[in-house]
Amino acid sequence: MASTSTVQNLFDRSAVYTLDDQLQLLAEVTQSFASSLDIDETLNNAIEKFMEYLDAEAASIFLLENNANELVCRACAGPVDINGLRLPAKAGIVGKTVVSRTCQIVRDVSKDPNFAKNVDDGTGFVTRSILCTPLMVKQECIGALELINKRGGDGLFDDRDRHLLSALASSASLAIHNARMADRLVEQERLQKELELAREIQLDLLPAPKPGDFPVVGMNVPAREVSGDFYDFFQREDGLIYFNLADVSGKGMNAALLMAKVSSLLHHLAKQISDPGDLLARVNREVCESASHGMFVTIVSGFVDPATRIVRMANAGHQPPLYHGGDGRFEEIPAAAPPLGIIEDVEFPVSTVTLRGGSLYLFTDGVTESLDENHRPLDVDGLIRLIRARAAIHVSKRLQDIVAELRRPQVSQRDDITLLLIECRPQ
Amino acid sequence: MKYTVREEGGYTVLELTGEVDLSCSPEARKQILLCLDEKRNLLVDMSRVNYIDSSGVASLVEGFQTAKKRNLKFGLVGVSGSAMSVLQLARLDKVFPIHLNVQERLKADG
Repeated sequence: MASTSTVQNLFDRSAVYTLDDQLQLLAEVTQSFASSLDIDETLNNAIEKFMEYLDAEAASIFLLENNANELVCRACAGPVDINGLRLPAKAGIVGKTVVSRTCQIVRDVSKDPNFAKNVDDGTGFVTRSILCTPLMVKQECIGALELINKRGGDGLFDDRDRHLLSALASSASLAIHNARMADRLVEQERLQKELELAREIQLDLLPAPKPGDFPVVGMNVPAREVSGDFYDFFQREDGLIYFNLADVSGKGMNAALLMAKVSSLLHHLAKQISDPGDLLARVNREVCESASHGMFVTIVSGFVDPATRIVRMANAGHQPPLYHGGDGRFEEIPAAAPPLGIIEDVEFPVSTVTLRGGSLYLFTDGVTESLDENHRPLDVDGLIRLIRARAAIHVSKRLQDIVAELRRPQVSQRDDITLLLIECRPQ
Repeated sequence: MKYTVREEGGYTVLELTGEVDLSCSPEARKQILLCLDEKRNLLVDMSRVNYIDSSGVASLVEGFQTAKKRNLKFGLVGVSGSAMSVLQLARLDKVFPIHLNVQERLKADG
């Protein structure tokens, strides 16, 4: 960084560079750094100026890359093009500069044990003297700026060269830092757009609300861009309505990808298989073949016959659905089998419920783990209270009201919220 | 979450303490897989686990599946009440070999 003493030395300098020259160079370089985020082009233009102004035969900028294990030449000027040259992080004078974080003046490299002679051997260039200064951002060293072989005078770099190079290095460090931050922002924006696209695709996998008095309604509110929860419902040609509600373990993109696979499998197979237990057994075998990292799927999946109002469903390790009977009583229907994706040979027992004026609620743990006004988990009892208070409201509005209650603005949503409500109106 | 590792009766015992949730289940997973990578039979002591979420359960499931593939022994011991209720809700108490403590597991092994 340009310290007070550096600035003072710039003023003291009179023999070779005038103060005006120095300030003009600094202003020019800083302006060029500020006007472009194409860091490679800007650094290559700047390094030419540094070399000419400090009257050196060659100049280069090395940056620490690959988890700071390597120094890579990202800009150079002079007779030999070493752009892209990779050195171990501690190699040579440049490595010593980076490790010690201090400027190195080497008047005769043949007498310096740190000099990496193999670079000259490879390029045919003869290095005699070196001036190398660290590139610092805050307290972190990100690389080094190196000048080779002073042309004029006694052929040696001196303290005045060192002070000027330090000032130029500060400007270059800031430019590199800014360009990296800009790259990061662009990358973040790209990832954000991809997540939004993934979310759109996920939403397309969820069924659209059905018109009229269709017996099933659902809602999904993800906590992040993509969700591990899903639900589905559709009416088959034989009149049976298939439904499911599931939760993939974990969060983020890997859960979303497994969600897409399982949901597609179920949507396809539920048109051919009518037994809820057989359906889950078939999907379980598929998931066990490919699921990795311990990922699993808890799910309630079944069929409702609108003519008889009989629901037949299987529960693989999922939160027990709640049946709110016409008499006002609530009953939990617990899982009888483990989640999908864990063990291949497992049976999925079928439960039967007849909707005699009652409603069946399926939900994920994002619902019961939502925090209430006292910042305590809602739990099943809390959900029962919410349902009971809204039992007379029409199904779609009731579901929206319950979800709105779970998403009160003073409490941040911790998990995906997904609910499915099945209710057959008297015919 | 904190953890300790000890050797007992031919098993490596990984004792987890505290909350095994999304923020620390990657560490639990890493320790479980580390033991199994070194071909050690593994018991996860969950007597001091006061909360486990689905990501924590996924780490146990991955341990269970990895051990099975590598013909290693795997199980849970001393599962706390709150962790057990999560496993029971998902019927995973029927999947994992669960014992009261290491001695009970050794007895069951014969």
